[in-house]
Amino acid sequence: MTEQELIYGLRNGEEFAFRELVNLFQDRVFNTALGLLQHTADAEDIAQEVFIQVYRSVNSFKEEASLSTWVYRITVTKSLDHLRSKKRKKRFGFVSSLFGADNKPVYDPAEFVHPGVQLDRKEDAAILFSLIEQLPENQRIAFILNKVEELSYREIAGILNSTESAVDSLLQRARQNLRKKINELPP
Amino acid sequence: MDNKINRSEHILNSLDGLQKAMAPHFFYTRLIGRMQNEQPGKKSNLALRPVFLTISLSVVLLLNIFVLARMNNQADTKRTIPSGDAATIQSFANAYNLNTESVYE
Repeated sequence: MTEQELIYGLRNGEEFAFRELVNLFQDRVFNTALGLLQHTADAEDIAQEVFIQVYRSVNSFKEEASLSTWVYRITVTKSLDHLRSKKRKKRFGFVSSLFGADNKPVYDPAEFVHPGVQLDRKEDAAILFSLIEQLPENQRIAFILNKVEELSYREIAGILNSTESAVDSLLQRARQNLRKKINELPP
Repeated sequence: MDNKINRSEHILNSLDGLQKAMAPHFFYTRLIGRMQNEQPGKKSNLALRPVFLTISLSVVLLLNIFVLARMNNQADTKRTIPSGDAATIQSFANAYNLNTESVYE
């Protein structure tokens, strides 16, 4: 099935096309969300939201970018929105515990290890992920898309609506910042 | 110094050779289940949202304060009726023969 056929099927509400879309993108969406959110359950939740959003707004997809770029863009936006709302909830933790719909405390795992990290690098990767969280938003996105999702500069530029040179500079600054933060860590 | 550089490079390169995470099993089934539960147009109950609750409580509180302040003001003005007004009331009573004395005459 070509991308055009897939989009056409989605616009016509065909279940087969939707299943095809999910099969095609579920791992990419989940892996990207997991890299950004560093929480497995949240990543699954956001991945589901991404596909619901794609299904509902496929008619407004202008096809200026490829379908994969569009899906990645939604994934990044949804993940960042989720992180922001989590931060807000943490800040107003007391109020949300009084008025929250489910009265569940905001869970924040202490240390995240990506399931795909090699065994002998788990400790270092955990440190790196905790430092990635502290990077500015754009640097964080570029770094995760490049290192975790292994996207090219060109693909990242498409997702961020930017240029390849801007992505290169973002990644360089991300590495510099990370190096600086690692050096500040206690030995 | 070399150790420090080594350490930072080790940590920075710790994601090399990372295997991509895969979506959990039955992802599609769960997604379809969620979509069936979340009918389009069905919105979460606005009245139960914390923001809405906080705002409505604040409005009620402000209204209470406003009404109490007004009531206090009115009580004060009633207690101090100017002499001019008293005279008007008296002349009105006289004109319509409403003086209490007239009843017992």
